Amino acid sequence: MSTAMLSTEQAPPITVPLRFFAMAPLFLLLAAAILATGNSFTDAPLLLAVTHCLTLGFITMVMAGAMQQILPVVIGSPMPASKSIAWLTLLPMSTGTLSLAGGFLYSNPALLYAACLILGFGFLIFISACLIAIYRAAARTSTQFALLLAILTLTITATLGIILANGYASGTALDYSKLTAAHISMGLGGWVILLIAGVSYQVVPMFQLTPNYPGWFSSGFAPALFVVLLLGLVARWWDVISLGYLSAGLFWMLAVSFAIITLRLQSQRRRRVADATLSFFRLGMSSLLCVALLSTLALYPPLQEDLTTLSVVIFITGFALSVIFGMLYKIVPFLVWFHLFRGGVKKGVPNMKSIIPEVWMWRHVQLHRATLLAILTASIWNPARWLAITGLALQSILLSYALFTAITIYQRTLKNLTNA
Amino acid sequence: MIALDVRGLPPPEPFEQIMLALETLIKDDVLRVLIHREPYPLYEMLRESGYRHQTTALPDGNFSIEIGRAS
Repeated sequence: MSTAMLSTEQAPPITVPLRFFAMAPLFLLLAAAILATGNSFTDAPLLLAVTHCLTLGFITMVMAGAMQQILPVVIGSPMPASKSIAWLTLLPMSTGTLSLAGGFLYSNPALLYAACLILGFGFLIFISACLIAIYRAAARTSTQFALLLAILTLTITATLGIILANGYASGTALDYSKLTAAHISMGLGGWVILLIAGVSYQVVPMFQLTPNYPGWFSSGFAPALFVVLLLGLVARWWDVISLGYLSAGLFWMLAVSFAIITLRLQSQRRRRVADATLSFFRLGMSSLLCVALLSTLALYPPLQEDLTTLSVVIFITGFALSVIFGMLYKIVPFLVWFHLFRGGVKKGVPNMKSIIPEVWMWRHVQLHRATLLAILTASIWNPARWLAITGLALQSILLSYALFTAITIYQRTLKNLTNA
Repeated sequence: MIALDVRGLPPPEPFEQIMLALETLIKDDVLRVLIHREPYPLYEMLRESGYRHQTTALPDGNFSIEIGRAS
């Protein structure tokens, strides 16, 4: 038996996470616009620019906003000076990503140097603020540890990214292939999976009414994945082939176990009603299983190059984007409701389910499925890329519209409540 | 003491039910809530609305929260 501590600081104002969420879809649109300027998806500078619009501009942007809200809600410890930290993270992350994408696209060293400085500053602020909040938390939970390890992998990813971008800009001779592989594995395998897992431990049982993740899994998954990623780095750096195969095998076993356990928990949910978030999550977890299969097949040398690129594309668009869309459609209505409801029962606070109409979420699910199909088709039939580009652009518009509708409802209701 | 069991309800129903129950509390009454997770955001709401609370983690993984008016 234990008595919980009172949370001594307030959760951040709703504007803090919403600014990040509102900015992120613009980078989906930018990714689509950049893709539209090229002749194929395999053009390297274009692919680098688009990848960073998606991973930094969308995925990390949403996660950075979500982190500001998750820390106080899940571990009872908000970031210090949340409003200032939000601006000092949001502005560098947006301008830095634009600069980086421009630097890749136009092979412009000045833009790449600027991106390193701006993003380095933004990440330093964000990572320091997260670490302070995690250190201050009274509770010691598996989510907290997963978030800590996610932040550590983000630190490694950002450092490697800055070294790489600086290297490209200055033309320094570096082992680009090893550094890039480490940057990708820490970014996607570490930061993205660990944060999604840490948040899923809370969001899946809370919003989808499933049983909790098994204790052995939620306490063991993040540390095991982190160790395996470090083993992978060692194997790659010192060319220890057997250790490389071992770490890759263990990594995919862990990722597959996360996907299967999540799907299994969702099949045991208490309320068996159709839910767009659940569909996004299922699509995400199925994509992760598909990536695991493709990555295993990619160990066979003749297939390596094509399947590795396809794996990364499906990981980002099929796994990460799906889960993040699903989380946004639960978190944003909840935040709007919570901030309107706080302080007691009031007449005029809308029902949480009416804040973003369910029908739009379902349209987004269908649009996302169609976009993924177009991306897969484009890997074997180039003209299909136009369908993928259109799908990505439409998703950005639909998501922006849904988010701005929620923000408008918040502002209008708050005004009515204040005037009442 | 008034008892309220909100275990297994989806957000935001636990919050809504707790705040509605608090409206019915008479001066020295205490509301005892059984809930399946520790609701950190609720604590802030309670503080803002002039309530005190004490949370106990139960061995079965649930939480018991006793809420009364702050003196």
